[in-house]
Amino acid sequence: MSAASRLRISGGTVYDPANGVDGEVRDVCIDGDRIVAELPSNVPRLDARGMIVMPGGVDIHAHIAGSSVNQGRRLLPEEHAADPVPAPRLADGATARSGTGGTIPSTFTTGYRYAGLGYTTAMEAAVAPLAARHAHAELDDTPIIDSGCFVLLGNDDYLLRQLAAGELARVRQYVAWLLGATRAYAIKIVNPGGIARWKSGGAERNVGAIDDPVGSSSVTPRKILEVLAGAANTLELPHPVHIHCNNLGQPGNVGTTLQSMQALAGQRAHFTHLQFHSYGGERGKGWKSAARDVIEHVNAHPEISADVGQVMFGPATTLTADAPVEHLLYTSTGRKWVNVDSELETGCGIVPYAYREQAAVAALQWAVGLELFLLARDPWRVVLSTDHPNGGSFLSYPQLIRLLMDRTYRDEQLKRVNQKMLVGSALLDGLGREYTLSEIAIITRAGPARLLGLKTKGHLGAGADADVTIYADHPDRAQMFATPRHVIKGGTIVVEEGQLRRAPAGRRLAVRPEYDAAVTKDLKRFFQDYACVSFENYGAEPVS
Amino acid sequence: MSAATRRVEHVTCLGCGCACDDITVVVQHDRIGEARNACALGAAWFGDGTMTPDVRVHGRTAPLEQALDEATRILRAAQRPLVYLAADLSCEAQREAVALGDRLGAMLDSVSSGAAAGILAAQRRGRAGATLGEIRQRADVIVFWGTDPAERYPRFTSRYAVEPQGLQTPEGRRSRTVIAVDVGARRGPGDAAARVAVAPADEIDALGVMRATVQGRVATDHERFRSAVELARRMGAGRYVALVADGEPGAAPADPDAAEALVTLAQALNAPTRCALVVLRGGGNRSGADAVVTWQTGFPFAVDFAPGYPAYRPQHGAAGLLAAGEIDAALVIGSPASLPDSMATGLAPLVTVAIGPHVSGASFKPAVALDTGIAGIHEGGTAFRMDDVPLPLRPVLAGPPTAAGALRSLRERLGA
Repeated sequence: MSAASRLRISGGTVYDPANGVDGEVRDVCIDGDRIVAELPSNVPRLDARGMIVMPGGVDIHAHIAGSSVNQGRRLLPEEHAADPVPAPRLADGATARSGTGGTIPSTFTTGYRYAGLGYTTAMEAAVAPLAARHAHAELDDTPIIDSGCFVLLGNDDYLLRQLAAGELARVRQYVAWLLGATRAYAIKIVNPGGIARWKSGGAERNVGAIDDPVGSSSVTPRKILEVLAGAANTLELPHPVHIHCNNLGQPGNVGTTLQSMQALAGQRAHFTHLQFHSYGGERGKGWKSAARDVIEHVNAHPEISADVGQVMFGPATTLTADAPVEHLLYTSTGRKWVNVDSELETGCGIVPYAYREQAAVAALQWAVGLELFLLARDPWRVVLSTDHPNGGSFLSYPQLIRLLMDRTYRDEQLKRVNQKMLVGSALLDGLGREYTLSEIAIITRAGPARLLGLKTKGHLGAGADADVTIYADHPDRAQMFATPRHVIKGGTIVVEEGQLRRAPAGRRLAVRPEYDAAVTKDLKRFFQDYACVSFENYGAEPVS
Repeated sequence: MSAATRRVEHVTCLGCGCACDDITVVVQHDRIGEARNACALGAAWFGDGTMTPDVRVHGRTAPLEQALDEATRILRAAQRPLVYLAADLSCEAQREAVALGDRLGAMLDSVSSGAAAGILAAQRRGRAGATLGEIRQRADVIVFWGTDPAERYPRFTSRYAVEPQGLQTPEGRRSRTVIAVDVGARRGPGDAAARVAVAPADEIDALGVMRATVQGRVATDHERFRSAVELARRMGAGRYVALVADGEPGAAPADPDAAEALVTLAQALNAPTRCALVVLRGGGNRSGADAVVTWQTGFPFAVDFAPGYPAYRPQHGAAGLLAAGEIDAALVIGSPASLPDSMATGLAPLVTVAIGPHVSGASFKPAVALDTGIAGIHEGGTAFRMDDVPLPLRPVLAGPPTAAGALRSLRERLGA
């Protein structure tokens, strides 16, 4: 099927929560790369009777391309050797690429596997501005899925200097300029101020609380959060500021998480991989779940959204700009550890990891993620992620969906895991909730698309992108979601009868806010004084 | 400035892995008259930019189409082809080349196999690193381990690691302590504030002793390691330490155990303080080859596509397969001058297709030679600095067909 052709997906049971369609048998019509309301009756049909039809999946937060991801790939030759991926056989003799899998697959394999899972959009959640050109080159080699980059801010020395000088208006201009220059989609904050401290050497290796000073007494994590959240909202970016809080993975971090949320009261903000930020207890004195406290705050504040960052048992690779955390993890577990300090901007830390059912902390993390899902009142604002590959590969999403939809299955797993730290977990109180298919459609496509401000994604109304996933209605929901029968991306049938058949290039999603050119004069001065890359060569746009 | 003279600014030099991007190239009458800010190595790399590009088939000048047809025939007929990435290629050309290797079921390797010791050490242990600009901002202790960057990386000390002022090093060199470690004849910079001598036979042990010292253990009280212990203490007392070693062949450390000991020492230093190991890499976008091959296959070099998927053969790379007589045809891309001797010798008896700068004069006498321009002089695109920072290339002169374009044409013919 070429992009310009028409198709009627007929007789399927449609879940399109954005348009209030909850399991109705109806047709979905595609003309070119768009969904249309109606088509003549003589157009080709795809018989979807007995099948379940949803918009293509949208991953709001994953690490799939760019400098840190590639450092991770380089670190994992054993994983790649264990998961070779021959080139898929495409229709019409089109050429496909071989690759390798594991927790960080090669680029082509990443695209194929997302499509094979029924996902048609994924956001790369942490791009250092200095390496944005690299991230885009990898995404150019990641077929099928539409993608966008979140650009890292909040530890960059230029920003910190402007905050110290009280130049808040200039910050807004800088942010607008940087988003355009790096062809990014949204602002990402990782451990505000903490990476800057880690890089500066000295006794303070991280921030511990949101009012800790970073270099200057007027620069604190709180200030960074407020100013960048304000910038995103003032610039009317489609996605609000995307926040990885301070103290990721630390016992007792619930206080920091709630304070960060309160600091932004009334402002739109997205808190990512919330599971890693919802722990009670104290360092050295044990951990416990604080999921209830966190999710109650989220439930009560409609301006806040989150993705869960579920931990799944099995191999993972922890990979983050939050370099001081990775050093801690290396010290406690480490065989392999990568740290790369990125000049004037951010950091990068990587430790391969495995979550084991019998490990007390892993079991707690697993439980905390499920609590967040099961206690969330508004699925539109608490969406699915594993922070791929940090909590587990995106390939584990179907298993996660089954955990949410099938209480019996979940309770069986719960019995198997280490119980030591689960005291007080709501999961032990017998959380009986089972997600419906409509709710799954919300947390895996409609919700993320809405939170990202992607108006033509996550739904099947007229004018939407023709990204559609069709599943066999298998009672084992893990199997159902792992092996869609058909996937249509931008009007092209990419998966046909469960086989990847076409691999068109995906589109890049990016914003380009307007800014006052005066900011570039000041930036050029900063580059002149400190940078090791010419201002004219910075960013990700083609030169001359 | 006359009409025949023009200037191109912010040009990235690929003369070495420093990838200085502050070069102003002055072009006069379609020749490079001057490469301002470039070091001697850079100036030599730019040269005057003139080429007499040729297309040859079996030694005779031929039309491009005929060369591509013959290249297609050779590669189609090959039972065990090799695709080899030499230097002076853009990432865009490298991406095309890996795609060809995949399509051909070829052995794919690159000049990075010469830097295998460091790459493999990093795969076993990871790395404690930083981009070069971060060394400039932070490093107050800089230890050159058996290397003087003045020889192969001339602007390294003026742009990154010693002289420039940074956020936390406002006085430049005066904010830093520079220590030279002389490992036998591999000497550190002559102008270092302090020197430590290590016998080559003791190198790995000395690094182990240093790591133990950093970790608060006493590994030995032997006299000959006293200066190493003292050095480790000095490093541990720094605020941000840069440990600089050369990763290219012919320099330290070709020994995989030494490479690993450098990594683990740098990692250990991150407990009491901060430390980054800087592994110096050569020019011509070598680091780009590692990055591209990694993102497309999952492995940085020595990738065998023969099984129908990428398989890693770090111990049996191109040079080894050539020596064993396993390769029956090769596609060599990039500058032949960058080939290690073992490669040039191994290629000589084979039927080869060569695409790259000056390949028509290659010593291994390619059956098909298609001269292209040099990435960064005649060809645009992207290249990676030695620390994996991507930089745009700004071609200063028009050139012959680009390597990326020629490879694309070849791919189309091969149905890839």
